[in-house]
Amino acid sequence: MPSIAEINDRIRKGTVRVMTTCELKQAVAERGVERVAEHVDVITTGTFEPMESSGIVLNLGHTDPPIRLHKATLNGVDAYCGIGAVDLYLGAAQAGEDLNYGGGHVIAALVAGKSVQFRATGMVSDCFPRRSFDTQITLNSVNQCYLFNPRNAYQNFIVGVNGGDRPLYTYLGTLQARLGNAIYASPGALSPLINDPQLKSIGIGTRIFLGGGVGYIAWEGTQHFPLQKRMPNETPIGPAATLALIGDLKQMAPRWVRGCRFHNYGPSLMLGVGIPLPVTDPSVVFAASVLDRDVVAPVIDFAIPRRVRPSFGLVTYEQLKSGHITIEGQRIRTAPLASIAFSMQVAQELQNWIRSGRFELTEPVAPLPLERNFLAQDQTILR
Amino acid sequence: MRKRVILTFPPAVVHMPVTYRLAKDFNIASNILRAQVAPDEVGKLVLELSGDIDQIEAALGWMRDQGIGVSLMGHEIAIDENLCVHCGLCTGVCPTGALSLQPETFLLQFRRTKCIVCEQCIPVCPVEAISINL
Repeated sequence: MPSIAEINDRIRKGTVRVMTTCELKQAVAERGVERVAEHVDVITTGTFEPMESSGIVLNLGHTDPPIRLHKATLNGVDAYCGIGAVDLYLGAAQAGEDLNYGGGHVIAALVAGKSVQFRATGMVSDCFPRRSFDTQITLNSVNQCYLFNPRNAYQNFIVGVNGGDRPLYTYLGTLQARLGNAIYASPGALSPLINDPQLKSIGIGTRIFLGGGVGYIAWEGTQHFPLQKRMPNETPIGPAATLALIGDLKQMAPRWVRGCRFHNYGPSLMLGVGIPLPVTDPSVVFAASVLDRDVVAPVIDFAIPRRVRPSFGLVTYEQLKSGHITIEGQRIRTAPLASIAFSMQVAQELQNWIRSGRFELTEPVAPLPLERNFLAQDQTILR
Repeated sequence: MRKRVILTFPPAVVHMPVTYRLAKDFNIASNILRAQVAPDEVGKLVLELSGDIDQIEAALGWMRDQGIGVSLMGHEIAIDENLCVHCGLCTGVCPTGALSLQPETFLLQFRRTKCIVCEQCIPVCPVEAISINL
């Protein structure tokens, strides 16, 4: 099997063989792992889903007289300024004046080339005498602007239902009363980290597709929980590994970066993430050949607003994608929250990039940890 | 042709078997999309009428003569293709299956004839791609 360097040689020569994860699953079903592994160098995976733990780092550029940002808003959405004088961080889930507009919309507006209202007050000092600053900014009028997302690309997630008697407005959308619907948030067997369940092919420094530009895996994501219980095929039975991602917003494309909001819950960001898996071993093909019928998620009742909510057990993504699941004898319609159509398109786009020589693979700089506990905050005082 | 109408019944005419008369006298098939009818109260009925164009016009005139308020349903659900990301969240609240995902491509499909314009999909759409087209 080729090394990553040899795969990159093939990319430069234009002889690289790339399959999307959909194509790979079909090929393995027809020809088996060994035969397919001989004929593929890279598997591309993609997802397009709301990722509220996202945000931008932005450097405004210095004003004259200079300002040290104390409080700043972009289109009325608060940014965090406790870093350098004109550095700020704007979170995708930060709401503006109401729950229908927030950081995700501002980030998408910048990517779409729109101008954004910037308003700030300064913390006055002898270095930075300015008290306030108002202007319009665009992506081109600021120095750095990069996405730096603490938690993206969740390896599996939950399915939300509502066993109560009133509708619930959640981060999964509207859950109708009396088990009126079930909403799932992961594209299942298409999801990047489901195709590499033990994180063998990726690591810190892995180059990826992020919002239509080039990004990198920066770190493990927050709430990274690789020790989640797993199926015999090594896929987790619920939320598990996560990634912190970084990438230049100036390269991104509006198609893959969309502001969104959940009714009576708040704003978020829908983002396309694509991860290439180099086939340096047949086991990479075997892991990526996992099907929706072999990946499960827990059905969780949101009517109980506690940290540990009751579960109605596990369902497969094949059941979820069929449009209905059955819980306690009741037939419940399902709806996805991740765009399965766009997830497939992200994998195709990354496939095109690699085939055309625009995107080369990287060796990870360091592995992602496989041992992390999932701590809860119980207000105990440690002595 | 097909036409969607909203009928408002004063309490005095709630007893009238309107859909029967439409079928019998005007050869119109009426599909009840929404209904709110109770004895001695103002009733509302949303119908999709299908039949001959002249017969539908005649039926609308006859209903007005009976004191039934007739308004044409001008509004319908519109989906902005440039905004829609085909996430499918709207399919989880659509009561009639007018909004669904195609099984292979997972692209959103909207079957207008099944839509009862209940408008539940509008606030649910996370990218605000769904609106009422007046």
